[in-house]
Amino acid sequence: MALAQTLAVETRGLTKRYSTGVLAVNNLDLRVRAGEVYGFLGPNGAGKTTTLRLLSGLLHPTSGTAVVAGAAPGSPASLARMGAMVETPAFYPYLSGRDNLRVVARYASVPKSRIEPVLKLVDLTDRARHKFKTYSTGMKQRLGVAAALLKAPDLLILDEPTSGLDPQGTIEMRALIKELKQGGRTVLLSSHLLNEVELTCDRVGVIAKGQLVAEGTVDELRARSGGSALLIRATPLDQARRLVEALVKPEQVRVEGETLLLSVDPSQAASINRRLVSDGVDVSELRVSEQSLEAVFLELTETSQK
Amino acid sequence: MIASFRAENLKTRKRWANWILIGILLAWILLLTYLTLFLVVTLSPKSIQGPVPASVLKRRLFPENFVPTVLSAAGTIGAAIMLIFGALSTASEFGWLTVQTILIQKPTRVAVMFGKYLAVAAATLLISILVFGAAALASFAAVTFDGSSSSWPAWEVILKGFGALLLQLTIWAAFGAFLGIAFHSTAAAIGGGLTYLFVGEALLGGLLRNTPIVKDVLRFLPGINGDAINAAFPLTIRDSAGQTQLVGAGRGVITLLVYLVVFTVLSLLIFQRRDVGGG
Repeated sequence: MALAQTLAVETRGLTKRYSTGVLAVNNLDLRVRAGEVYGFLGPNGAGKTTTLRLLSGLLHPTSGTAVVAGAAPGSPASLARMGAMVETPAFYPYLSGRDNLRVVARYASVPKSRIEPVLKLVDLTDRARHKFKTYSTGMKQRLGVAAALLKAPDLLILDEPTSGLDPQGTIEMRALIKELKQGGRTVLLSSHLLNEVELTCDRVGVIAKGQLVAEGTVDELRARSGGSALLIRATPLDQARRLVEALVKPEQVRVEGETLLLSVDPSQAASINRRLVSDGVDVSELRVSEQSLEAVFLELTETSQK
Repeated sequence: MIASFRAENLKTRKRWANWILIGILLAWILLLTYLTLFLVVTLSPKSIQGPVPASVLKRRLFPENFVPTVLSAAGTIGAAIMLIFGALSTASEFGWLTVQTILIQKPTRVAVMFGKYLAVAAATLLISILVFGAAALASFAAVTFDGSSSSWPAWEVILKGFGALLLQLTIWAAFGAFLGIAFHSTAAAIGGGLTYLFVGEALLGGLLRNTPIVKDVLRFLPGINGDAINAAFPLTIRDSAGQTQLVGAGRGVITLLVYLVVFTVLSLLIFQRRDVGGG
């Protein structure tokens, strides 16, 4: 059953300062809508895992409030409706995959009939009788997802779900996440992998130094950081640059290798091309260049560091 | 809490380390206490025997004395085994980070904690039954092989003796579990606990037992109070000069029960408040 309220996760001024003095999460206001796949993006050490621990009730906040799946983080009411895999999948090494899920099912008061379907969903049925300590990284990740799914949760929190997976495993995990979204389930996943977020998430929140520095769809974030640009490959490049700088503001022009990148409206392409050609510049390429999410990410996180 | 207890039970039952610990304790009782002593007393030549005749020494192994013998044999070694068992049951969760897997399921931290303590208590009850039963069987075997006769203690004595063993093993398991939660580390919990047990209570406590100030401190320690309870079950023979107890058996029982409450409450407070992961 999908969450009745519009927001699956809402935090207000959530702050966590560790006893060591490190401020890991700083006044975070986060809103994850019910039914969406929300990507929590940030460089290592930005505060992603600390935030997810706070949302799971593993950490006590220094200040601020949070509502997760309609209740306070860590409360039985909240935990009953959420499944989570925080940081690394942690299980009992001396137990088999199936027995580990039996333990988790007992804690969660979930009937053991749920175990086989989730094992099948993550494709671990064949190895379920083997001990957890013999599992590969990918199998451990999949068992972590299976445990998170035992409760058939409305909200699924996954921390770096493709961490340590090989390319095939990564593709399978992404497909699984997309499958999990079906039926109105909310997925909050953290990652430092931009490509992963771009491929799986409806909306993205970028965190740096414990603060949310941007939020929106991938396209919105791109647009916010200047959006698309015009790429021009021309000879001679210096002459082309001088001509272009006469047409647009000089700060909108930057040289990248053998090309010029112009942060201007792509509709100006025809007039710029006309001017370059009429002044004897050979234009071998002129196209709209989408700014990569990497560039957006770097710009957003670097700005916040300054 | 019942859900947590069921989960803990499954983990406890399937963990080989726990069965190995039980095996060591049973081996200690059966092989070292009963079999070795029986063979030494029976087979050693008369020329090297001490002032107490072998026929008297042997009675220590017979049914009439199985309660004091098992209490004495399970004393320090039983305490060490149970301390390790308790520490493993809690500290491993932090080492493997499984504590966070547990806490993101439905139960509250209080329910998880009590589920864990109930499982430790249930396992301790089982261990006490096995140890007591093994000692009773061994004493029966000893008297049968020897061809002697010996009577069993009264039911009341047997029940009280079982209660004394259960209480002491429970205290040490609770102490180990508390150390596991306090230190978040299996090695630190076991190392710290065994150092306290062997160096603090057994060695220093033994050496400085008659020092006035130390004596006052020793009266409050679990091992000393356990010894006082054990002393309430005397042997039917006198093979050595008995040690004067610092406290009475009744006070020993009360002190150990207070320790049980203190360890449980402290564990709960730490577990309830502490952050899991990060920092």
